[in-house]
Amino acid sequence: MGIYIFIFFAYLFGPLIIMSITAFNSAEFPSITPWECFSFRWFNEGKIAYDGQHLAGLLSDWRLHDGIISSLIIGAGVVTLSVPIGMAAAIVLTQVRSQLRDIYYSISIMPVLFPGVIIGISTVVLWDRIAGLGGEGFIADIGRNGIFLTILAQTCFISTYCFLIFVARLQRFDQTQEEAALDLGASQTQVFFKILVPYLSPAIASAAVIAFLFSFENYNTTVFSILSDQTLTTVIASKVRLGISPALSALALTIIALTIIAAVTYEVLRRRAEKRYAESQEKFVKEKAADNRINEKYKAGFRIPKGITAILLIVVFATYGATQIVKNDLYGQSCIDAADKEKKSKFLEQLQTLESNELTDEELSGGSLGGNQDYGDIFGDPSLFQDFGGFD
Amino acid sequence: MSADVELSDVSVTFGSFYAAKNVNVKVNGGEFFSFLGPSGCGKTTLLRAISGFQEPSEGKVLIDNKDMSGIGPNKRPTALIFQNLALFPLMSVSENIAFSLEVRGVSKEERKKRADELLELIALEGQGDKKVHQLSGGQKQRVAIARALAVEPKVLLLDEPLSALDLKLRQRMRTELREIQKRVNITFIYITHDQGEALTMSDRIAVMNEGELEQIGKCDEVYNNPLTPFVATFVGENNPLYGKVTGIEGDKAKIETADGQYLATMNESKKLNIGDESIAFVRPESLFIPRDGDNFDNKIDVNIESFEFEGNLKNFYASLKSGAKIKFSVPNAIDTSSITSGSSIVLGFESSKSVILPKASLAID
Ligand SMILES: Nc1ncnc2c1ncn2[C@@H]1O[C@H](COP(=O)(O)OP(=O)(O)OP(=O)(O)O)[C@@H](O)[C@H]1O
Ligand SMILES: [Mg+2]
Repeated sequence: MGIYIFIFFAYLFGPLIIMSITAFNSAEFPSITPWECFSFRWFNEGKIAYDGQHLAGLLSDWRLHDGIISSLIIGAGVVTLSVPIGMAAAIVLTQVRSQLRDIYYSISIMPVLFPGVIIGISTVVLWDRIAGLGGEGFIADIGRNGIFLTILAQTCFISTYCFLIFVARLQRFDQTQEEAALDLGASQTQVFFKILVPYLSPAIASAAVIAFLFSFENYNTTVFSILSDQTLTTVIASKVRLGISPALSALALTIIALTIIAAVTYEVLRRRAEKRYAESQEKFVKEKAADNRINEKYKAGFRIPKGITAILLIVVFATYGATQIVKNDLYGQSCIDAADKEKKSKFLEQLQTLESNELTDEELSGGSLGGNQDYGDIFGDPSLFQDFGGFD
Repeated sequence: MSADVELSDVSVTFGSFYAAKNVNVKVNGGEFFSFLGPSGCGKTTLLRAISGFQEPSEGKVLIDNKDMSGIGPNKRPTALIFQNLALFPLMSVSENIAFSLEVRGVSKEERKKRADELLELIALEGQGDKKVHQLSGGQKQRVAIARALAVEPKVLLLDEPLSALDLKLRQRMRTELREIQKRVNITFIYITHDQGEALTMSDRIAVMNEGELEQIGKCDEVYNNPLTPFVATFVGENNPLYGKVTGIEGDKAKIETADGQYLATMNESKKLNIGDESIAFVRPESLFIPRDGDNFDNKIDVNIESFEFEGNLKNFYASLKSGAKIKFSVPNAIDTSSITSGSSIVLGFESSKSVILPKASLAID
């Protein structure tokens, strides 16, 4: 039993853990072996490579920063649009009767079934037409604004997820509460704000969080609707196409850490509220009940959390890794310098061999080497690494 | 302040189905009035018509002689206590009670003062900060009443509010409700399917069946002089004796059944003629085991089948010659050790304690 769970978790989290570790390796490519040096440089400025090229780290990568900023803007926009839309649609569902209800429900959830690509493309097509109509005014600007279009396109299907969350909560709503409020003299607006919204507030919170996360990680709709702008996902995608960098590992680790911190904070707050509630309940019971109905021996005891083995395991591995690194002196600036120097010399050697083997133009195009033209170009072009735009 | 409530020819239909049909009733201001009827007979529907959640398909609802058609529930001088209470779970007890004041823009101090007053009225002083789920069933009940009273309605409508409570609590709440009604002196319209509840609390009751009113009257009137076989059997227990009218003497009629002839009292508004198919009703507590010197108008031979002890009463189930079943009750204080199952005895009852009505369907329960 235990072993299955372990395998399952290893399967789930293994890739993430490996990726996280590579963020601390100073090598240009994310790897664990060979381990070069332990360093934080991928979180900071990255490095200037031995050939003079700049490989950006997390802090110094302006494209990543721009992407994050537009992702945040889009996320906020999507939340403000899709939560009210989803809520309104769900409330309408409670008012619709019988057969119409099923049809309405099916139509409402349809956007989640569409491929995201189609939603993205169709949004662009539609707004391109609209922008074309209005001449050069505001409409035209907006219709060609990638961030605006992405908000609209994502809202299309994300509001449906919000809708489903609200429907689930509304199904448990006791409608006589609304009637009771009306009967007590509340207007429809008051019923909405004083009865329905408080009841829905947990759903509003979860819908907002989910809408934001869906928006933040969306790729296939965004990649079309974003036009000339970039979001975090599209930046990462274009980077990966040019070869992965440990800066991405660093980014992933940062996101994972933020998520874990958020989850833990939420859990702690929740438990605290629960405890406070239990205490007040306990106090109430003590006040209220006859003495002989209080179990004096009852104590809310401390229990060891079940995740303790997992935490222990992580601590053991981390300690092992750290001692290995310290023992072999694989950390700090001196190590990095040494590694760079070694690589530079190797690189020079390679360059020399390449130069000596340089092929003639005729050989390159003449086909004695067949389809190797591309490779020939790469190795033949001395300015190759200066043009290599991926990491700047 | 109390108000009259009048239903004039009110019908409510759902599709082609009459949930309430041609209901005519006038409830006087300050009265405790009950609608009594079996489940599904349309009581809640009528109440919703009065409170404004359901527009009548035909007829009019008048409150204080004002036609209420087109006036929404939040504009009517009524307050409804729902079958499930419908307290607001996210609010404290005080907030629940003061809700109607809050939506009217009453200041916070004023609200608190009024909530405290009402908490005192329902004997829950100092418990205003509790959440609703921290209350017991009876306390929730009272909070619902206080919440409804906070608006100072002219009419309080109660939809089977006691049905979820246990017997003892129900009995206590009956007295409390009655007391509250006297104290605030407003019209109470109470709905129940429990005839005991209706009889103990109400000034008058209306008995409903299948969407129609069968009888309206004071409690003892309805109990002693039912107008229809349905009322006779729904309000309290009654033994039906089926037969044909063979003679009429003043307000009494003679009925010929398979088991013999009995004399019973006719209702003034339900006169019978010789030859009519009819039913005479006699209540279990009106059937006596004759002692020396007793002389009853009617005698009836029965064969005891079984016996049941109810505390204050002993109930006997017996059969007649024709196979018809009959039930009679004897106070626990009377010695009945000689009566055992299988024994044949003669019972007597007075014609004044028995009503005879034209044949119609009974309440089956
Ligand atoms: N909205 C509705 N649509 C269709 N039929 C309805 C509706 N509301 C009530 N009915 C029908 O009207 C009849 C009367 O319902 P009502 O709720 O008034 O019964 P009730 O006397 O209050 O019963 P109970 O004692 O069980 O509460 C029932 O047969 C019910 O099925
Ligand atoms: Mg009802």
